[in-house]
Order: sequence, then structure tokens, then C-alpha cells
Amino acid sequence: MSCQLKGLGEEGGGGARGRARSSPPGTGDRSGRRPSRKRTYKAKNAPGRRQAPPGQKEQAGGSPGSGSPRRKQAERRGRHREQLGERERGSAEKTCGGRRKRDGRASLREHQAPPKKEKEVPRKEEMWKQLKKHRSSSSASSTSGGEPLSEEELARILEQVEDKKKLIATMRTKPWPMATKLAELREAQEFVEKYEGALGKGKGKRLYAYRMLMAKKWVKFKRDFDNFKTQCIPWEMKIKDIESHFGSSVASYFIFLRWMYGVNLVLFGLIFGLVIIPEVLMGMPYGSIPRKTVPRAEEEKAMDFSVLWDFEGYIKYSALFYGYYNNQRTIGWLRYRLPMAYFMVGVSVFGYSLMIIIRSMAGNTQGSTNDGESDNFTFSFKMFTSWDYLIGNSETADNKYASITISFKESIVDEQESNKEENVHLTRFLRVLANFLIICCLCGSGYLIYFVVKRSQEFSKMQNVSWYERNEVEIVMSLLGMFCPPLFETIAALENYHPRIGLKWQLGRIFALFLGNLYTFLLALMDDVHLKLSNEETIKNITHWTLFHYYNSSGWNESVPRPPLRPADVPRGSCWETAVGIEFMRLTVSDMLVTCITILLGDFLRACFVRFMNYCWCWDLEAGFPSYAEFDISGNVLGLIFNQGMIWMGSFYAPGLVGINVLRLLTSMYFQCWAVMSSNVPHERVFKASRSNNFYMGLLLLVLFLSLLPVAYTVMSLPPSFDCGPFSGKNRMYDVIQETVENDFPTFLGKIFAFLANPGLIIPAILLMFLAIYYLNSVSKSLSRANAQLRKKIQALREVEKSHKSFKSRATARDSEDTAKGNSKNATQLTKEGTAHHPASPSQTLDQKAQGSRASSSAGRTVSPASQHPGVRPDSGQAQPQARPWRSASGRSAQKPPH
Amino acid sequence: MGSRSSHAARIPDVDSIRRETGFSQASLLRLYHRFRALDWNEKGYLSRVDLQQIGALAVNPLGDRIIDSFFPDGSLHLDFPGFVRVLARFRPVDDEDNRNRDPKEPEPLNSRMNKLRFAFQLYDLDRDGKISRQEMLQVLRLMVGVQVTEEQLESIADRTVQEADEDGDGAVSFLEFAKSLEKMNIEQKMSIRILK
Repeated sequence: MSCQLKGLGEEGGGGARGRARSSPPGTGDRSGRRPSRKRTYKAKNAPGRRQAPPGQKEQAGGSPGSGSPRRKQAERRGRHREQLGERERGSAEKTCGGRRKRDGRASLREHQAPPKKEKEVPRKEEMWKQLKKHRSSSSASSTSGGEPLSEEELARILEQVEDKKKLIATMRTKPWPMATKLAELREAQEFVEKYEGALGKGKGKRLYAYRMLMAKKWVKFKRDFDNFKTQCIPWEMKIKDIESHFGSSVASYFIFLRWMYGVNLVLFGLIFGLVIIPEVLMGMPYGSIPRKTVPRAEEEKAMDFSVLWDFEGYIKYSALFYGYYNNQRTIGWLRYRLPMAYFMVGVSVFGYSLMIIIRSMAGNTQGSTNDGESDNFTFSFKMFTSWDYLIGNSETADNKYASITISFKESIVDEQESNKEENVHLTRFLRVLANFLIICCLCGSGYLIYFVVKRSQEFSKMQNVSWYERNEVEIVMSLLGMFCPPLFETIAALENYHPRIGLKWQLGRIFALFLGNLYTFLLALMDDVHLKLSNEETIKNITHWTLFHYYNSSGWNESVPRPPLRPADVPRGSCWETAVGIEFMRLTVSDMLVTCITILLGDFLRACFVRFMNYCWCWDLEAGFPSYAEFDISGNVLGLIFNQGMIWMGSFYAPGLVGINVLRLLTSMYFQCWAVMSSNVPHERVFKASRSNNFYMGLLLLVLFLSLLPVAYTVMSLPPSFDCGPFSGKNRMYDVIQETVENDFPTFLGKIFAFLANPGLIIPAILLMFLAIYYLNSVSKSLSRANAQLRKKIQALREVEKSHKSFKSRATARDSEDTAKGNSKNATQLTKEGTAHHPASPSQTLDQKAQGSRASSSAGRTVSPASQHPGVRPDSGQAQPQARPWRSASGRSAQKPPH
Repeated sequence: MGSRSSHAARIPDVDSIRRETGFSQASLLRLYHRFRALDWNEKGYLSRVDLQQIGALAVNPLGDRIIDSFFPDGSLHLDFPGFVRVLARFRPVDDEDNRNRDPKEPEPLNSRMNKLRFAFQLYDLDRDGKISRQEMLQVLRLMVGVQVTEEQLESIADRTVQEADEDGDGAVSFLEFAKSLEKMNIEQKMSIRILK
């Protein structure tokens, strides 16, 4: 029967309920009652006053004066009593509208006596008939109108209206709090008022139909928009595809790559928007001043590809590098303070990166603590719920097969790991041994690097050195990078870690190795910078003297002013900032190329070879020695992280570096996605990535910190070049801030800044921060401890319950009689717990309530044994008497209601 | 009006079906159209072959099971009431529904328990009320194909039984099944929006 059906529009019912619940309890009583009463009166009479459907008309006509809100209470009460009387007689003239009215009022007062349910039924039948009549008339009129709504649509609306009416009618029987009832009632009446007139008669119909159409469109649009949003997540499909074939660990790399791409895009926007584009648009054009011009000596080859490839020539003297920028305080008609912007952007690149890393780390931690509890039924969940029944495409189905398989494999690995029984001492010994070996390796390679760098410094002083001696450092570094990771991996096999933990160790170790790489690179760079700085003074003099001689030399007609020296001819210093930028640029590009070539040769060609030579080879290539490559997660992640470190270090001296990096990440995303799908095989032990890739983030944070150091050092303690860059002519780069504060801000602000920079203020602030960190840290620690304890408790509880149940069932299995009974008991228990409404006749409502309370106490019982008596096992006899009385009670009550 | 009423009239026992399943008139109509579209040679009932032609079921590893569940106790014909009754399990659950349901009526077909029972039937091949280890293995083979070794499959099945089994009989009964999926939002996941 449709009266039972509440096909309320989601927009109506759900919203109303939500509001009612969220509203504070105070609104339900006096303060909120007066206006609401009025409104309900208006609402319920509105349809009546309009052209009501025939069935309702009589009813509405029966109380013509009730439209005015200022009716006397007594009158209303009298009529109400009259209606109650009618209802007692069970008269058949009752209609929806009348009952709606009455019940609306009743619900406004306090509860009356509970209605007699037996009489409810015939009235419902009556109403059903009437509704049918109503519907036929309404739909007849609607078809004549020729509106855009479909008939089904109409039918549904009609149903909704009826349901609302029904809701209003049965409002008082509901066990809701008063406030809920009021809100619900109001909502329902508004709904009915709004739609009934439109449905029934032609008056507001067009508008209504239009509105419905729009609402439908809007819902569809929202759905489409959600789909669109999912599609807009870049590479989501690709990554899911990879995840389904290679497992979440490989996918975690790509997700990391995508995240990195997003961060770099923001950095790119920052640098391009605030530095490069203003310079290009408003700065002095190329060739106007010496720093923006290719020197005369290089002009010949400045456009050669080989020169450009090394970022010399025209590229060197472009806005991509530090040296191109002029030290004018403001540029263009906007009076844009470029040096200031340059400095601030450099700072905010670091600031933004730091913030975003820490935020994402914090977010990951939160996510990982939230869903810690769902690991109770891993296999059951996978078994029973992994298939997506909405899949209708065979390709998607294939992917789903793959992903189910992978996820099973992942859980198997996890399970094996947790159930592994092993010799603890042996494992410990092996792990210590492995760590010892690896530390030896690291120390050895560190010393080797140190030694080679020392030697190279000697070589650089000598005159004629061979090719090997010149490139010794690079060769040693790449050899180490090539052989150490496999060596580490071999040694790590001793440790017998879970692959997920193993990956972390591996990452950490290779990270330590790569630090050596970084160290040598920075050392070489610093030497270079210091060399250039020491030469600077002499070049400065030379420049000065050249200009002086040029303007003061004799042999020129004094009357005509001399044309200024052409910028290309001015001698200039070796701008060390640009040199550093070029170095990082080269490194990034070569890194990109190396990655590409490694993938092409190491993965793709190998895969081709294995695949096609397998037909004519002596042994099975696919299963045997070369086989297909696995995706190297640790190497790729570390490559990405160190590359990002280079970007951070270099972006201050080469603003264009971030642009190059964005391109690099973009190509590497597509390229690696293709390579992994085409030429790699899943890992032998597919393992699930830890949900939060905080380990990657931690490494990234470390690298960010490490790359901040050299930049901060150069900015703080080295003088900028005298003839290139936005800070030329200043003593230190950060002087630009002081200058801005002095010139552009009011003086009192300058004083405030000076005051803030006072060490007496900074040191207490830092101390305070430390204290805050300490406090928050201890709080979070204690919270996580509590969390862990609670989780353990839940786990223990489950175990106890399980053993208890199995014990019981074993006991009952002995005598077969009890088994059947037990099952039925279980069944009743379940239906009671699972569904709120237990079928029972109305006369038994009290009884049912009592049962309900008992059931809820029984639900509480599952918690109680362990929480009340920690350490007491429930099957040791003490819990039995607790459980029995309830069981028997439920057994009795289960026989009562007729099923 | 005319066309709609004639359609509605053509559905046999519209009212009793509505009462039983809780579908609205509109969705019943839609389902009826669908039913007749599936019944391509207008027999008035559906046979297994009719259902097997649905593309989405063909790629589903459990497709046969799903079709089986439409044909209870071995019958070969599926009439419209039966068809609707099965689909009624996927009707979304309304809170309203539960709230003002007449307590005299039996549990609606779309209750959580009935939804779960439907899912349970998919796994319970021999309909003995228990998912045995063997049945689980069969489903696993369907789901993961040949890519996992038999040994691993068995360990998966063992683990599943071990997790879900509470009374120690080596099989998963319906209660245990329901318990293990306690956390799952069945009401939402086993609902089809259009069957409102």
C-alpha cells in the first residue's frame, strides 16, 4: 500500500529532518511555537482555499473560518473534541485533509492518548480509494495541459504529495521528539501546499512543471559534474590502471609523482607570474644594458645548438637566469618592485614547499589513524565485496580481475608476514649483520667520494690532466650509484623484512648514499663560487677603467658627446649566480635524459629482447635469467626526491628551472606510465603500500631542509655580483628588504621591523615555539597511546567473544536438540539487533518495548564482560549466569509474535 | 492519462505487487517495460537464456549465480512478480520507510537483512544455509581466475573461514556472514538509485 511508502522527495524530507535534528532543543518549545502555529494554520488551509480536489473540498468547507490565525483556542479545542469523537466512531468520511488538520494540531499540543490502531486500517483503505480518485482526476487534467513532464514523473510527484499527507496524518503516532515533529510537519505541509495545487489544477502548473524540469536537470547536472570532477583528476585512470596491475606500491610512486607535479605547478605559477613575466613585459629589453647582452666574444657562436644546449649563449642572457635581471628598484608604469619581488618569491618558494609538505604529512597521519579498525575481516571483505556489480564493460572487468588478484596477493603477503614463526635470535643476528655490512659500504663509499674530491681539487690545479682525471668524480659517483643499490638489496635479503618495511630501509640507505653525491656536487660548486668571487674585485677594476678610458680618452671630437659604449663591448664579471643556475639546469636536463635512456634501454629493450628472442633461445628467457624488469620503486622515488632538491636549490638562481621541471615531470608521467604498462612485470611479492606515503614525504622534507641550507648560506653570507642580477650593488641580497622598508613604508613600520628583529625578542619567541612543540608533541603522543590501547581492547574483545561463541557452540553441538533452539535464538537476536522494527501486533507494543530495552542491554552485554571485568574470561563461568536470563527471555518472546 | 492507466492495468496484480515490494507506480511501470524488453519473444515470462543475454552479466564472474538467484527452487520460468520481488531487494532504503512502517507488516524486502540474504545466496551454492570452504574456493576461482596458485587460493579460503567463523564448524553461516559485513554500508551499496 502506498500509504506506507514514504517516497518523500529527498530534497524535502531529508533536509527537514536534518534541520530538525540539528536545531537546538530550545526551539521546539515556547519560543518557537507561536510563529509555527500560525504558519501551520496557513499552510494547511491554503490548499483548501484554493481549488482543492473534490474529495477534500467538502472537508475543507466544513471548517471555513479556520483560515484566520487568530482563532480562539477554545473554539479550536471544541472542534477538535468533536473530531476526536468522530474518529472514535470510525466514520468513513474522514479524509486526508481533515486528518491532516487535526493531527497537525494534535502534534502541536502535548501527546494525547495513543490512537487505536485497529481503526487506522479501515480509514487507510478509505483514503486509498479517495487518493485513487484524486489521482485520476489530477492526471486527467494534467494530460490535457500538455506539459513537458512525463507521466511517470507526475505519478511520482503525486505519490510524494500523498506520502506527505500521510506523514502529516500519522505524525502524532510517531515516537519522535516534539521539535522534530514540528519541523517535519511544517516541512510536509509546505510541500503539500506547494505541489498539490500545481498537480490538481492548471493554475500554477506550468511554473511547477518548469520547476520540476529544472530540478531534474539540476540533479542530472550535479551527477554529471561529479563525474566530470573525477575525470578532471589528472591521470586518475592511468594510475588506477597501474594499480590494478602492479599493486598499490607501484601506484604510490605515481601518486607521489602527481603530487609533485602539482606542487611544481604552483611554484611555476609563482615564479613565472611574479618574476619572469613582469620582467619580460616591463623590464628593459634585451641588448639595452651589458647584463642583458651577449658579450662580443661569444656573439659568433651564441646561437649554435651545442652552445645553447649547454645553456650558454642567448639562453644564458635571458630571463631564465638570475644575471639577466636589472637592479632598478621599480620597473614599468606599474612601478613594480622587481628586486623585492624576486627576493620574496625566492623565500616563498621554500615557504610554500615547506607548508605543503607538512600539511600533507599531517593529513596523511590523520587518515591513517581514522581507519585503523577495519582490519578485522580483511579476507571476508575482499571475498564477499570485492566485485563491483555495476561493471558492464569487459575491459573494465579484466582490470577488476587483475585488481582483485593483486589485492588478494597483497593481503596474503601481509598475512604470511604476521603469522610467520621464526627464530628470533637468528633474525636479530642477521639484521644486525646486514646493518653492519651496509654501514661499512656506506662508510667506504663516503670515504671514496671524499678521497676522489680531494684528488680532483689537486688535479684542477695541475695543467694537463687526462680525460679520466678530469671526470674522475663523476665516474666514481655514477659507478657507486649503479652498484650500491643492488648490493644493498642483496644484503637486505638477509634481513627478511616485510617488503614494505624493506622498501623503507632500502630507501633510507640509498638516500644516505645519494647524500654523498649531493655533498660532492655542492662542494665543487662552492669552490667555483669562491674562485669567481675572488676574481670579482679585479674585474670590477677593469670594467671601471675601461669605461673611464673610453669616455676620457683623447682623439674624439669634444663638441659631440660620445655615443655610449656598446653594451656588448663592456667587460663584465663572471656572474657566479648565473653560473650556479646553469649548473643546476644542466644537471636537471641530464638527469631527465638519463632517466629516459635507462627506461628505454633497461626496461623497454630488455622486454623486447626477452619477448621476441624467446622463440629462438636455448633457455626460457621469460622465466630464466634476464626476465622482464620489475618497476624499481625505491630508485624512482629517490630520483624524484633528489631532483626536487636540485630544483629547490637552483630555482633562486635560475627562475626558469621550475618550468623545465614541470615539463620533465609531465613527460616522465606519461613516459613511465607507458613503460611500466608495456615492459614491466609486477613484483614477485606484491605488497600493499602503506596508506600514508609519509615516508616519501619525510625524505622530501629532509631534502628540502638540506637544499635550503646552501641557498640560505649564499644569500646570507656571500655578496652578490656587482654587475648582474637584481641585487647588484648591494652588500648582501637581503638588503633589498631593508631598502623597501625604509623607502616605501612609513617610518613607524620601519621602527617596528627594527624592533622585531631585535634578538631580545626573537630568542624568547623561539623558546616559546619550542615549548609549544614540546607540549603538542606530548599531547599527541598520549592520544595515540590511548588510541592504540583502545584498538587493542577491541581486538581482544573480539577474540574473547569468538572463543566464547565457539566454546558454546561446541557444547551445544554435543546434544543436537539444543542446536536448533540455539539457532532460532540467534535468529531472533539478530533480527532484533539488525532491524529497529520488530513485527508485533499493536497490543504487544509495551511488551515489545520491554524487549527492546532488553535487547539493547544484551547489545551492551557484548561489551560489558571485558570492560567490567578485565581479565576475566567470559567462558570461565562468571559470564554465563549473566547471559542466561536474557537468552531465555528472548527465547520466550520470540515465540510470541506470529511470524 | 489514458495510456498510463492502460499500462498500469496491464501489469497483473499491480496492487499486491506494490504492497509487497514497496515500489512506486512509476518504477513498477519502468520495470514492467524492462521485463517485456528482456522477454524478447513475448512468452510472458523470462527464462535463463533471456537473462544471459544481458551484457553486464556476461562479464560478471558471478553472473550465473545472479541469474540463479532469480530462479528460486529450480523453476525455469520467471514471471513479473518474481522479477520484481528479486529487484525489490535493491530498492534504496528510506528512513521514512522504517519510521512509519506499520509494525504489523513483515520486514520489507529491501531491509538490510534481506539485502544481505541475497548476497549470501550468491555464495551459498547448495543452499544449505552455510558457505562452506568448497563453495568459497569455487567463487574465488571465478573471481581471480588462474593467476593465483591453488595453494594460495586455499589459504585465502581458510583465512576467510577463520575470520568469519564463530562457532567453529568450518563454514560461514548467514549470521556469521552478516556479522563480518557489519561495518559495510550495505544499505547504500546494495541499492540501485533508479529503483526509488
